[in-house]
Amino acid sequence: MTQSQSPSSDTQWPRWEVFKQDAPGRPHQAVGSVHAGDPPHALLTARNVFVRRPAAVSLWCVREDDILTATPEELTTHPALLDTPGEPGTYHVGVKRTNKRSMTFVDLSGTVQASGSGDALRQAQSMHPDVLAWMVFPESAVVRTDEDPGTVESWFAPAKDKTYKQQQHYGVIGRHVGELKRAGLMSGRATSEEGA
Amino acid sequence: MTTTPSISGTELTHPQTQALLLKLTVLADDEIILAHRNGEWTGHAPILEEDIALANIAQDELGHAGLYLSLAQTLGGSDPDRVAFWRGPDDYRNTRLVELPKGDWAFTMVRQFLYDTAEALWLEAATRSTYAPLAEIAAKAVREEKFHVQHTALWVERLALGTPESERRTQAALTELWPYAAQLFQPVEGEAELTAAGILPDLNAVHARWTDLVTRHLVDKCGLTLPDAPTTQPGRDTHTEHLAPLLEEMQSVARQHPDAEVW
Repeated sequence: MTQSQSPSSDTQWPRWEVFKQDAPGRPHQAVGSVHAGDPPHALLTARNVFVRRPAAVSLWCVREDDILTATPEELTTHPALLDTPGEPGTYHVGVKRTNKRSMTFVDLSGTVQASGSGDALRQAQSMHPDVLAWMVFPESAVVRTDEDPGTVESWFAPAKDKTYKQQQHYGVIGRHVGELKRAGLMSGRATSEEGA
Repeated sequence: MTTTPSISGTELTHPQTQALLLKLTVLADDEIILAHRNGEWTGHAPILEEDIALANIAQDELGHAGLYLSLAQTLGGSDPDRVAFWRGPDDYRNTRLVELPKGDWAFTMVRQFLYDTAEALWLEAATRSTYAPLAEIAAKAVREEKFHVQHTALWVERLALGTPESERRTQAALTELWPYAAQLFQPVEGEAELTAAGILPDLNAVHARWTDLVTRHLVDKCGLTLPDAPTTQPGRDTHTEHLAPLLEEMQSVARQHPDAEVW
């Protein structure tokens, strides 16, 4: 569940979750977060932090206060999450299906009509029962990059010309963790996130 | 008259080639020096996100310098790394605007805004150059500059309309930087002939568009006051005392390892 720190302990600007679309027709995916003072600033910093190089055609930002997330375990211990209030309307639903991915965490899978955040979460749970986590937020909370050619050209097109080295380009110091696991030299649990 | 064949088949006369070489060098010099100043913020920007953003901007500017110097090399110029790391302050032809110390965040953002708007407008005009290799690199670089402008315009606006302190700092930065910014529109020797041939943009026209654009943003939108700009000022061969120490630091690694091939 998303919880903001109390204002007195947090001197940061609000945190915004960033959703990136790699290509037209593809789902927006949560890629991380930025701190920013207002919606246009959030989009600009998101572009700088998350799409200097990777392919993208669109960015969305949503303030963390507008996002409701839950894992199956959290719903078991805190069923009241399903009663979280909110404005009735269109809600986006995101799901996290696996831990074995780097750079993206949650895929947006579609929208639902809901009476509030809790209701949207309930619908997300029933549509996608077997996932690691759900995320919902109202359509009204989304700020988006423009889709005009000028924006796509100046925000996203330059990344296509930029080259960078993939992780596997760099050598591994010592022995690869997968090799150690196969040799029974490491416990599985400690390395469950390996491969990120 | 001797001519330099270009990769596109466009033929330049010898004087045109020399003037274009000089123009590409001064453009690259501005990019290199400003990129270094922005790089000085790495690890020191107000928040992590802006640290990354300014490093991105600096890398973009260095990339543009690379484009200019690579084109210059096809016209007989030296290797871009030699040009960047083995010339001293007497040979650099950057504006004084870009060599001034980075100052506070307002100073850095106002300078970057003045510079980005000038570069974006110049590059946009340069995409229509009759010299195809220049039109090509302008088309490539202008996309990034348009994004820079959005970022720095937003910051200048937030600072100017923010707190009394941020407004004071932003106005102070503009008051100091404005006279220096005019130097971005000083032509190089032989530029008039290149403009007449359609190879380079009309600098006076770009200057007029720039003045209009920045006045609308800084004065009309942000409520800042523009000071008077000097009608004449020294050329690009005159520097402040700040350039030499900058170059000393920027070039120190290259000069300690002149034979290095892989970084």
